[in-house]
Amino acid sequence: MGRFVGKPIPRIDARDKLRGTLRYVADLKVPGMLHGAVYRSPVPHARLKGVHLDPGFPWNEFVVVTARDIPGENRNPMILPDQPFLAEDRVRYIGEPILLLAHPDPRRLRAAFAHIHLDLEPLPAVYDLEDALRPDAPRVYPPDNLFVKYEIRRGTPEAVFRQPGVQVVEATYRTGFQEHVYLETQGMLALYRPGDDIKIVGSMQCPFYVRNALRALTGGREVEVEQAPTGGGFGGKEEYPSLLAAYAYLLALKARRPVRIVYDRHEDMAYTTKRHASVVRHRTAIGADGRILAMEVEVYLNAGAYATLSPVVLARAILHATGVYHVPDVVIRGYAVATNLPPSGAFRGFGAPQTLFALERHMDFLARNLGQDPIAFRRRHLLKNGQAFPTGEVMQQAERVQAVFQRALEVSRYRERQQALEAWNRQHPNRRRGIGLALFLHGAGFTGSGEKKLASRARLVLLPDGTVEIRIGSVDMGQGTLTVLSQIVADVVGAPLERVRYATPNTRYNADSGPTVASRTVMVVGGLLEQAGRRIRHRLEAALGRPLEKPEDYEEAVHRLFEAEPTALEITEAFRLPPGVEWDEERFQGKAYLDYAWACYVAEVEVDLTTYQVKPLKFVAVQDVGTVVNPLLAEGQVHGGVAQGIGFALMENLEVKDGRFVESRLAEYIVPTALDLPPEFEVEFLYRQGDRPRGLGELPMDGSPPAVINAVVHALNTEIHRIPITPSKLWHLLHPEAPR
Amino acid sequence: MKIRFRLNGRWIETEAQPFQRALDLLRDTLDVISVKEGCGEGECGACSILYNGKQVLSCLLPAVQLDGAEVWTAEGLLATPLLRAFEEEDALQCGFCTPGFVVAAYAYVLNGGSEDAAEIRRALAGNLCRCTGYTHILRAVQRAVKEHHASSSEKRG
Repeated sequence: MGRFVGKPIPRIDARDKLRGTLRYVADLKVPGMLHGAVYRSPVPHARLKGVHLDPGFPWNEFVVVTARDIPGENRNPMILPDQPFLAEDRVRYIGEPILLLAHPDPRRLRAAFAHIHLDLEPLPAVYDLEDALRPDAPRVYPPDNLFVKYEIRRGTPEAVFRQPGVQVVEATYRTGFQEHVYLETQGMLALYRPGDDIKIVGSMQCPFYVRNALRALTGGREVEVEQAPTGGGFGGKEEYPSLLAAYAYLLALKARRPVRIVYDRHEDMAYTTKRHASVVRHRTAIGADGRILAMEVEVYLNAGAYATLSPVVLARAILHATGVYHVPDVVIRGYAVATNLPPSGAFRGFGAPQTLFALERHMDFLARNLGQDPIAFRRRHLLKNGQAFPTGEVMQQAERVQAVFQRALEVSRYRERQQALEAWNRQHPNRRRGIGLALFLHGAGFTGSGEKKLASRARLVLLPDGTVEIRIGSVDMGQGTLTVLSQIVADVVGAPLERVRYATPNTRYNADSGPTVASRTVMVVGGLLEQAGRRIRHRLEAALGRPLEKPEDYEEAVHRLFEAEPTALEITEAFRLPPGVEWDEERFQGKAYLDYAWACYVAEVEVDLTTYQVKPLKFVAVQDVGTVVNPLLAEGQVHGGVAQGIGFALMENLEVKDGRFVESRLAEYIVPTALDLPPEFEVEFLYRQGDRPRGLGELPMDGSPPAVINAVVHALNTEIHRIPITPSKLWHLLHPEAPR
Repeated sequence: MKIRFRLNGRWIETEAQPFQRALDLLRDTLDVISVKEGCGEGECGACSILYNGKQVLSCLLPAVQLDGAEVWTAEGLLATPLLRAFEEEDALQCGFCTPGFVVAAYAYVLNGGSEDAAEIRRALAGNLCRCTGYTHILRAVQRAVKEHHASSSEKRG
């Protein structure tokens, strides 16, 4: 704890946001700007044999860009080199970009679309991941529609499953696609400057990812990329903005004028990334004493038409598949499956919500099947210190898991409420109440050797006027980076909070602190800023001749330091893995994450047996994320993440029909409103003296869906293996005889 | 056609097109950027304005209907206890839906809304926020109602 760290300080940018004066990309006024639009494939899978522009249409009014206008390589530089910026000879999903248009009047763009004709030779298409795995399935990605497959293995589970007297319990869990619904849709502006020096400004989580994509697109140019205030991201603005920036760039390059593309809500929902729909099969070997002896887990993710980030989403999914439990013999297999749908991508939790839903449902399912109490069953299987995760990583924080578990049971008065709700149900024939929980973890930072490869850098600059400037690529998209990193820096430097300035994330002037993803910013980038801040403080104290103690010492020290030479002091720190952190990315063995956050969430729900609506009544979220830099903002992260989890579990239904997402408008895709969230909500953070921050952003998304569904299962005494469980789906589940 | 209306306390005269949305006139012609387009079809509430004392979605309002109206947007609702409550309760994250919530909450307080949580939830249910999970917004509005009542009873006394 310091002067600022640990304090519930209101966010620094609150007033500009409340007054509505903060300019997001759609609010920027740019003279001479054109509006850009993307012309997309109308079919899910086809050979693209030609693009014809109606000769009678006044195309000279428009800027038209096709793949031939790309100066560099027509390959989005992601993990696999499979995705073109613009389709050339084949389209693989409805909405795949083919051609770009720009015009001063946005209304003319739609009119022009009607005068573009495609010569297409249709190919068979596949959307469901299980269909895509059949040997005779249409080929989206050769040879077998698998972008990647992974395996984590420990011990000899196959032998355990064959042992006599072993009971085998199987269940399959499914989760649907989920749309981010950041309130600000995707938007990107390309500012044209002489010499084709185009600057990109837009809504994004990862300015340096955008720069890297443009480097490939342009054949090596270092394009300046700057983040505009970003109206929510949740992963949806991790990789997608690279494509949009490429489109704005290409149009501006050809037009030699500024071009902005802002998606409308439908376009954003229909064609940008989604959370991967999943199928997770659990096979569990239970011994005569009712203990789990071995597990086999198969994880399938519907990745859509291009690999994008799916390999790493899958890695995180399988690394969270057995959670906080000790499974002596285990095999976890993961598959990222190609289908003719828009590419799935990053979404808060990044694969972990899918496997943790399956696991925390499965633990309840196993307990109920074995006639055991779900709480006691979990407690029996908790990893003890010294026992290994499937990766071989040794558990060293068992007491933290026990602490969040115990505290959540206390705060929720679990046992007492369980009985009270069961009694309540006997009095209320048309309603059912239930309580459920989830115990879980989230690996903080990039998976495996990711942080080593990123080699993030963070920069602090002390200006002669005493301003400390944070110059990094990590962005604030609402999660509060700007405020919490400023708190950290102010404390370590010894400066007043108002002397810390967060420079706009920009690839030309700031250090590459890596992407704003993976719950890594406070832990990794905050740590680097602390190191840099310590060096600045050292210089200040040397100039002052004594330690900085009183708040007014700071100005005195700045004055002394710059007295002789008023040159800014710039400190850049680079990330190095702590000693002993090793990861074998082929075998998935070693230390999978720098550290973990631990949590136990408890939900109480009510099911209305007339409408089949499930209403969350109460939510208790207890977590250990290490030091909480700002408890006010941290609580907001939990509230918001749980809201998304409740939506994922109960309402956010995204069906696919003929290669399109059916619910591609906010009138159809239902996200929680103020009426849908638990009236009672308790959030607690457990931590210890000397803790460091360990990542919070994604954690609440992981555990809330299984907690809510386990409560519904308790209420109805009926197993649920698939989310979202909307009222109509719940009705069908309870009335299996009814026609669909 | 020419229209005349009061915007944040000042009379404005401007030209409105027949099929123009109030949202576009406010944003494009008058640079009132607190009014955001979140969905363009009346689902999200990000384009909320205070229109003759009521919360109205400007994406569904023809611009010509601004004629003669009294309109307030977040830019004009400064220095109220409501804004302080939003700031101190952290009732905002990314800020994109925030001006719409400020308008909705202001309309609620202005029209004599109570501190009752269920009533506040109903009043806010037309605005979507994807960041906060609404709990902090609810707290801020409750606090603003309390402070509003306290200050109006002070004036009466």
